[in-house]
Amino acid sequence: MTATRPPFLAGLTASLPIALGYFPIAFSFGVAATRAGFSAVEAFALSLIIYAGASQFLALALLTSGAPVLVSAFTLIAMNLRHVIYGPALMKAAGKEASRRYAWVWAFGLTDEVFGQALGSLARGQRFSEAAMFGLGLGAYGSWLTGTAIGAVAGGGALDGWPAVSAGLGFMLPALFLALLLSILTRRQLPVIVIAASATVLGTLAISATSGILLGMLAGALAGLVKR
Amino acid sequence: MNWELLAVALMAGAANWAFRVLPTLARSDRLTSGGWLERFLAATGPAAISTLFVASIQPLVAPGIGPLLPVVAGTLAVLAVFAVSRSVVAATLAGAVVHGLFVWLAG
Repeated sequence: MTATRPPFLAGLTASLPIALGYFPIAFSFGVAATRAGFSAVEAFALSLIIYAGASQFLALALLTSGAPVLVSAFTLIAMNLRHVIYGPALMKAAGKEASRRYAWVWAFGLTDEVFGQALGSLARGQRFSEAAMFGLGLGAYGSWLTGTAIGAVAGGGALDGWPAVSAGLGFMLPALFLALLLSILTRRQLPVIVIAASATVLGTLAISATSGILLGMLAGALAGLVKR
Repeated sequence: MNWELLAVALMAGAANWAFRVLPTLARSDRLTSGGWLERFLAATGPAAISTLFVASIQPLVAPGIGPLLPVVAGTLAVLAVFAVSRSVVAATLAGAVVHGLFVWLAG
């Protein structure tokens, strides 16, 4: 998002670090989806329609464990509820005169990393532009879709002879959650995180893994209501 | 096409679109004003991610499933790289690489 280049290209360039990081994660999602028994088209459809990494891995786990459709959908939706504050936070930083005419398209690309990058650009004094948001979002989305497609076509069996690579890709999900957790960690949210984690462990041990996930999210979100 | 998968994807995708787009268009200051709604919504992210981290790491640390060392090494790599780079993507990739490396070394 510099003044010397057309805003769309500047946004596309700014998306490069995100795109480079997304590709291997999307590739491992494609592999994981086909390994879980889904077709390449189904894996690609998940990336195209949901476009939220952690939710997509979770969708595989929920659907293959036989969780009911509504429980699965509710879990994924609850997980992404945090995205509702991204748009207003970004527009607040962009200023009152910033256009949001095409936000119905580019705002779909407001993932954690795209939001972080856009907010960082504004914090560094660059001017908000919808064209730049398109460039930033398209680079990240394109990389996510390409990585998924290649991983899905390579297939679940592609890594059979490479157990270490397979294990590394298998660790991608906990690593992603931990890194996301660190990125949003604040003193204020620490009790929320601890309560959610404890409720998950208790719910999983006492009832089932799916119940643990639901109880953890609910307990943590309710803990957030307590004024500190 | 697996129709259950498509139904879940469409519901989650529509919610994602609504969560990302509608507040941007509405530009509601209520969501960034520090009220109860903001506190609840702000807590859903950490709560969900904390829950999912625990849920995803539990099978890896369950006794008898695998050696603990690659999990510990991968976790430490995520913490270290995030502390240095502040990048979610770099920390995730480092965790995966170190975990895979330890599995390879353990042979």
